[in-house]
Amino acid sequence: MNVAQCRKNVGICIVLIGIVDLLLFQPSALGQGEESASRVRRYKQYEVSTGYYEDYEVKPRRQVPLVGTVGVKRWLKGLSYNLSPATVRSRSFMPDSHYGVKFYEKMSCESCHVEQAHNVHSLRANITCRQCHGPEPIAGIYHYFSPMNPVRRHAYVCSKCHEGASASYAAYVIHEPSAASPTAKKGFASLYYSYWLMLILLVGTLAFFIPHSFVVGVREFFWKRKKAQEDSSHEHQTV
Amino acid sequence: MNIKRFSVIDRLFHLFVMLTFLTMAATGFGRVFVVTDWGRGLCSLFGGYEACGSIHRWVGISMIVAFFVHIVYVFAKIQWRNLKQSIFGPDSLVPNLQDLRHIGKRILWSFGIGSPPELDRWTYWEKFDYWAVFWGMPLLAITGLMMMYPMETCLFVPGWVLNLAAFLHKAEAILAVTFIFTVHFFVQHLRPSSFPLNQAMFSGSVPMEEASSEKPAWIARLESEGKLEQATVVAPSLPFRVAYLIFGYSVMGVGVYLLINGIVYSRYVTLH
Repeated sequence: MNVAQCRKNVGICIVLIGIVDLLLFQPSALGQGEESASRVRRYKQYEVSTGYYEDYEVKPRRQVPLVGTVGVKRWLKGLSYNLSPATVRSRSFMPDSHYGVKFYEKMSCESCHVEQAHNVHSLRANITCRQCHGPEPIAGIYHYFSPMNPVRRHAYVCSKCHEGASASYAAYVIHEPSAASPTAKKGFASLYYSYWLMLILLVGTLAFFIPHSFVVGVREFFWKRKKAQEDSSHEHQTV
Repeated sequence: MNIKRFSVIDRLFHLFVMLTFLTMAATGFGRVFVVTDWGRGLCSLFGGYEACGSIHRWVGISMIVAFFVHIVYVFAKIQWRNLKQSIFGPDSLVPNLQDLRHIGKRILWSFGIGSPPELDRWTYWEKFDYWAVFWGMPLLAITGLMMMYPMETCLFVPGWVLNLAAFLHKAEAILAVTFIFTVHFFVQHLRPSSFPLNQAMFSGSVPMEEASSEKPAWIARLESEGKLEQATVVAPSLPFRVAYLIFGYSVMGVGVYLLINGIVYSRYVTLH
């Protein structure tokens, strides 16, 4: 074995060791969006944290949720869940979003937020409003120190049950607008248009096939009967 | 005398799809309708809401695997040396202009105008059934996998895409269930020409008279190619026929039961 070959082999060995090191000992590339591995560590972080996360800690790999970057991924903007400023209420920015509501102590959440009470979390998992929105005073979801604020919602709210939730994961719309509604058309265009796509597909398929099969079925019934009659009369003749 | 229509592998694929599709429909309906009494009952059949979900996921994975096996099977079936004939010929399931002509002719015939179309081996409604499943499976599989692994999915796409995935999964499932439990059952089995049960997918063959009255072009082509003798097989035995008649009708019964209850209880649930 000459020196050049020996060097080549050593080089290959170093590359292999590097790959093994990357796979086994370096943090996984897929784990970038996650906050921490265990409940204990997350609780510790909760205690020491300011609750504010740097972009690199919470960003999904391909897209920035809720935070716009000029000139980046503009084409997705129009399709995403993206309420216009007109639909976001000013109370969403208040430290106590129910400030000044009369007889507030006597009311329940559902008496005003009727549609919001009909979501999968409440209906299927029997979760109450306060398990996510917290005790009084309920801060507006965009208030800077609110646990619901998109900068920390994933860590303070979602990950109570969904371990490892990232900011991108927290961009799932819990109280999503009804797919056919004008609100969806304005604020969640992709949902609105996929609703129409699937509706046209369903109605179109059934509108063609149900009458078509029915009419053909009726026609076949009489055709079969006529044929049977012809056959029997034919048999009579031959007999 | 019967004429051969499907191989054993074809029939096994269909049997697999029947059983898995029905399980998916029942477990999926159980989860969607769990807020109603009927849905809760349906869920408890499978061991509760959570168990229903895990059955739905495992059966879903087995369907994805079977879909890939089917693709391998299709690629093995294609005659690569005779590619054009194999894809666009009369033995292929790929739709062509002839099918459009058949649709027009059959609609006219159903209103008493002209003669019935000279259908070949695969009619346009059979081709539609095949391709409906073929494009529905990937949509359901991709959206289903996205919901199965939400954390991993959100590394690549923002979370609101999961809202879309959930919506598309349900909408496509409703489309598939409605189509199969009404149009497919009626056209393949309850239509006067094939009543009480189209035996092609169960015994693999159809009676000669049935084939020559519905698909005359196919029989004529087999005759002119001299393959008719080769394609004839013995008729299935009586116990086998009774067995698949009972099986077929129980599957149809369950399907129609699910659909009717789904429609009845649909006002108590929202699509998302």
